[in-house]
Amino acid sequence: MSSLSRRAFIGLGGAAAVGTGLSWRRLSGLDIPGRNSDALSVCINGTAQDAAANQGLIDAFHKVHPDIPARITPVQGEDQSDFFAKVLTLVAAGTAPDVVMVATEGTQLFADRLAYPLDEFVMRDKADMQEYFDDVHPSLVESFMYKGNLYELPMDYNAANMFMSSKAMTMAGLDYPDIHWTWDDFHGYLKAMKKAATGSFRPFFWTNRLFGGIVPWLYTNDTSFIKPQRFTGGRWFWNQFYPKETQRSGGFRWTEPNAEDPKVIEAFEFMQELIAENLASSPVQGGGNELVSRFSEGVIGMTPAGGYWVEGLIEAGMKRTDYDAAYFPKGRTQQHQFGSTGYTIMKSSDKKDEAWEWIKFCSTLDGMRIVRRKPDSTAARRSWNTQLYKNAGPRHWDIFYNTVDKFPTSAPIPAPPQEAAVESALIKNVTSAVTGSRKHVTVALKNLQRDLEQAFGEE
Amino acid sequence: MATTTAQTVIATVPATPPAARSLKEANRRKQGRMAGWFLAPTVIGVGLFTVVPMIASIVLAFFSWDIISTPKFVGLDNFATIATSSTIRVSFLNTFGFVIVAVILQIVVALGLAVLVQTKMPGWLRGFFRSAFFFPLILSAASVSLIMSYLFNEDFGTINKILALIGLGPVKWLSTAAGAMVVTIIVYVWQNFGFTFLLFIGGLSSIPADVYEASSIDGASGWNQFSRITLPLVSPTMLVASVMAIISALQIFDQPYVLTRGGPGDSTRTAVMVIYQSAFTELHFGLAAAIGLVLMLVIMLATWAQFKLSTKFVFYM
Repeated sequence: MSSLSRRAFIGLGGAAAVGTGLSWRRLSGLDIPGRNSDALSVCINGTAQDAAANQGLIDAFHKVHPDIPARITPVQGEDQSDFFAKVLTLVAAGTAPDVVMVATEGTQLFADRLAYPLDEFVMRDKADMQEYFDDVHPSLVESFMYKGNLYELPMDYNAANMFMSSKAMTMAGLDYPDIHWTWDDFHGYLKAMKKAATGSFRPFFWTNRLFGGIVPWLYTNDTSFIKPQRFTGGRWFWNQFYPKETQRSGGFRWTEPNAEDPKVIEAFEFMQELIAENLASSPVQGGGNELVSRFSEGVIGMTPAGGYWVEGLIEAGMKRTDYDAAYFPKGRTQQHQFGSTGYTIMKSSDKKDEAWEWIKFCSTLDGMRIVRRKPDSTAARRSWNTQLYKNAGPRHWDIFYNTVDKFPTSAPIPAPPQEAAVESALIKNVTSAVTGSRKHVTVALKNLQRDLEQAFGEE
Repeated sequence: MATTTAQTVIATVPATPPAARSLKEANRRKQGRMAGWFLAPTVIGVGLFTVVPMIASIVLAFFSWDIISTPKFVGLDNFATIATSSTIRVSFLNTFGFVIVAVILQIVVALGLAVLVQTKMPGWLRGFFRSAFFFPLILSAASVSLIMSYLFNEDFGTINKILALIGLGPVKWLSTAAGAMVVTIIVYVWQNFGFTFLLFIGGLSSIPADVYEASSIDGASGWNQFSRITLPLVSPTMLVASVMAIISALQIFDQPYVLTRGGPGDSTRTAVMVIYQSAFTELHFGLAAAIGLVLMLVIMLATWAQFKLSTKFVFYM
C-alpha cells in the first residue's frame, strides 16, 4: 500500500482549509440574500425572475423613501400552503421577512398566526387612504378582514368568470349569454357545442382546486361546503372609509362544515350529470398552464377563469376576438367567487412603520401601475384596471371588475386558518363525487363532511 | 495444575524484543491517527447531516410542533393518530399494494428483458438496449410524471387518442381509483426497471457458459435451462434487486403526487405523501416524524424478512 507523505498530507489539509475558507459564506449561510441586511424584506410568492421584474417598484419606492432600503425575497410556493410553510421556515431560521404578499387562501392563516393588523396605520393615514378606498370595491377589503381587524390592502383580485371560445360558440350558433343566464341555459350551451363539434373537443373543462373548481357552482347555488358566516366588528373601518356600507362585517368566518347541505348535493349532482353526459371533463388536478394552450387551440368550449387569464391567452397567440368572458350562470343565486392578493406586515417585524410605507406606496396609483403592467390579474383599483384591460381584454373585459358590483354578495374563496387541510379535504373528495354514479355523490360528500370535521377538530 | 502448565507454556514462547514491539505499536497508533484524520470529514458529515437529523426526527415524533411555536411534548399522541386516522391507514395499505404489484412487475420485466438481451440479441444491439432501458432512470421522476399526465389525460391524451383509433375508450385513466393506480404503477415501473435490468445483466454475465452447454448436451430445453439454471444462479442478484426495489417502492412519492395528488379520494395516496402533507401542508411536523418513524420500521422489517427468507431461496455457487 503506498503511504501518503507528511508533506502531501499537510498540503491536502491546507487545500481543504483554503476550500472551506473560500466557501465559508455559503457554508454558514452568510450569502443568503437579506441575511444580516438592514433592508426592509418584502417576500413574494414567485421566482427570482419575478423579484427582478419588481426592481422598478423598489427603485420607485426608493425615490419616495430614500431612507428605507428595501429588497424583494422571492419564495416559490406550489400553492398558498406550500408558500406559507416556506415563509414559516424563514421565520424559524431567523430570517423572517417584514412584509409578505398573501393571497386569500392564506389571509386568515397569516392573520391568525403571524400577521400584524393594519388598523392603526390605516387610521393614522386616513386622509391619504381615502382616495385608495374610493377606487377599491369594499368586498375585496372585507375579504382581508379577520375578527374585526384589517390585515391586508387588496392589490389585485380575480373573480371566477366563464371564458368561452368564440370558435366553439360560432360553430354551435350560440350568442353571448344574457347576464342572468341560468344553469339550464349553460347546460343547453354545452349540448349545442358538443353537437356542433368535430374531433377532440370538450364543451366544459374544469380543474379540481379551490378557485374555479366546484366552489363557483356552490356559490351560485347559494351555498358552500363550509357554512358562510361573518365576524362581528370592523365598524371602525367601515364607518370611516365606506360609511354607506352598513351591512359589512369584521371578516368572513368559516368554522362549520356544510358538505351534506341539500344545496351542496344539488350542485355536485349537476356537475356529475354534466360529466356523465360527456359535456364536462372530470375535474383535472393542478394549475391551468396546459388549459391555456388547450383553450387557445380551440378544443375547449368553456372554462372558469378570471382576468389573470388574459395575458396568458395573448402569449398563446389568441386575439381579443377569439374568446370572450361572461358571468357565471345562475343557480338559486348568482353569487360569484373571488380571490385577492395583498401585502401583510409580519408580527415579528421590527420595521412595521417602514413596512406600512411599502404597503401604502404599492396601493397608490403610481405603485399599482408599476406592479401590474400587464393584464395578468384584475387590479384592485378600478381606475387602473380599466387602463389595463380596455385595449387588451376580450369584448366583455369589463365583467372582470364588474362582477363584484353586479353581484355584491360575491365572496372570497372559503379559506379559514385551516385552509390547507380544508383544501386537501375538498380536492380529495370532489373527483370521487362527480366522476362516479349519482349515488357516489352523497357517499363522497359524507366523506368530505367527515374530513372537514377532522380538519376543524384538529385546531 | 492447569495454571502452572499454562505459565510454563507461555514462558517457553520467545518474546518480541520490547523496542520492536513499541515501534510497531507507535506505527499502528500513527496509522490509526492518520485514518482518523481521513475519516473525520465523512464521519462529521454523516453525523451532522444524517445521524443528528435522524435522532432529532425520532425525538420529534413525540412532540407537537408547527415550526414557529415551542414544541409541545405529546407522548404517544402522534402514534395514536396514526392508528386511528383512516387517511394514514389507507395510505400505508396503498403503499403495500403498490409495492407488491410494482416490485413483482419490475423484477419480471427486468429479468425477462435481461435474458432476452443477453441470449437473443446480436452483440452490436446489446449496448443500445442496455442504454435505452436504463435511460428513463436518469430523468427526473417529476418531469416524467408530468409528461405521463399529458399522455394519460382523459380528454386530450395520446393514449386515449390511440385507443380511439381502434374503437376503444376514452378510458378515465386518472379520475378513477383503479385507473389512477394502474397509471402510477406503469409510470413507476417504466422509469425504474432499468436499474434492476442492469443488475440482472451483471448476474447473467457471471453464469459460466459451460453450464448451459452441458445442459444442452443433456437435452435440456430453453424453459428447463431458465428454471433450473438461470433462476437459481441469478437468485443472489434477485435478492439484491428485490431488497433495493422494495426499499425504493416503499418510499414512492413523486409519481402519485404529480399525477393525481393522491386522488381520486385517497386511492393513490402513499405513506411518504402523507408525511409530506402532514409536515409541509398541515404543519404537523411531529405527526410527520412519527409516520416517518413507522415507515422506517416497516422498511427495516421488510428488509430483514427478505434476508431471513433468502436462506431458503438464494443459491450461491
